Amino acid sequence: MPAEQRLTWRRRLFAFVVASVGAAAAAAISFAMTVYDAAHPKPVPVVAPGQPIDTGRWSITFRDARTGSIPPTGFKPSSPKKLVMVEFDLDNRSASTSNVFHRLFTIDPPVANLPSPAFYLARDRSVAGGLQPDMPERMIAVWEWPPAVPVPQQLRLKVTSQIHKRRDNLYGAPGWFDREPVAVVTLAVGSSP
Amino acid sequence: MSAVLKGLGGVALAAAVLYGMQQTTPGYGEITSPRPVAGKLGHRLETRAFVIDIAKVQLARTLTTKGASRDGTFTTSGVWVLAEGTAEALSESLTLLSAEWLGPNGIRYAMSQRLSSLPGMLPGQRLEPGLPTPVLMAFEIPDGQVAGGTLLIARSAWAPLAEQARIEMTGVKPADIQSSLVLARAQGRVPWTLSAQ
Repeated sequence: MPAEQRLTWRRRLFAFVVASVGAAAAAAISFAMTVYDAAHPKPVPVVAPGQPIDTGRWSITFRDARTGSIPPTGFKPSSPKKLVMVEFDLDNRSASTSNVFHRLFTIDPPVANLPSPAFYLARDRSVAGGLQPDMPERMIAVWEWPPAVPVPQQLRLKVTSQIHKRRDNLYGAPGWFDREPVAVVTLAVGSSP
Repeated sequence: MSAVLKGLGGVALAAAVLYGMQQTTPGYGEITSPRPVAGKLGHRLETRAFVIDIAKVQLARTLTTKGASRDGTFTTSGVWVLAEGTAEALSESLTLLSAEWLGPNGIRYAMSQRLSSLPGMLPGQRLEPGLPTPVLMAFEIPDGQVAGGTLLIARSAWAPLAEQARIEMTGVKPADIQSSLVLARAQGRVPWTLSAQ
């Protein structure tokens, strides 16, 4: 083998080793950071009822929680039901009408066999549709509480956040993407008929 | 030495070209955006699939419905916008499911779902070729979005490269806001009447 070609091989090997070590170091650091973040979660800020919470796409202010048997429509259900209702003000901060407030907050810790809540518009006393941007509305979330589970004295709600990306990583399309929870709110559960 | 400089220069050039390409690539939203067809309030606007003619726009603080599935007075924190007109399909039967009020600041307000069950509402009217059908649209918008608005009408809210009628709402101004309007079911060609109280 001529000396020139051997040199090229050696150079190639050197470049390969440098690139491999670099890539391995990057992967190891990224993995270690992920593990560290998972092991040390940032505490979620506790927000008092009545304080507005900025979730990115929405601004939400919790008002109160109560339990009762009559839904916000005012019509008594045909079979008696145990309902837990949370009243809040919601403002759509995005640039278009949206009805995706269903996963905005969850009960924490989760209650077994709890169906997802229904959302009512307080102004109409009927099921809420899409919320217009920049037009805050009073809303009521209603859970049908499982009969086997006692209604808690306090409701701890975890509020999630979303960010807007001009281009997502898959299609380069604009959209809203879930991020970690921004706030925890504890509401005392009152009672109503 | 000059070889090293040349190599660095090549890398810098490549980075600059790649950055430029990244910044100027149109996004997916832009590539698949609807094709606008411009028109004006009170004039017939023809797209390939449908014809729309918005004849009249009325503004009110409250809206009372009579003879509809839900009677009552509908309040709003902004203004009710009621657009009346006629629509017609051109080559095949269709339904226009999407209408939005584009405010002067670029925010889009979809039709209010609070009144979606009323007779004559645009998404509930099946349009046939050769049969102009009266259509009604109701929007809830803040006061500041009344003047300088544009009505966007399309077959569906997300249809890549489909046509979208963009009707400029000239002459719609906040001074014309009425305190209340009554929307009643009617017999005849137009299934509603809209009148001041």
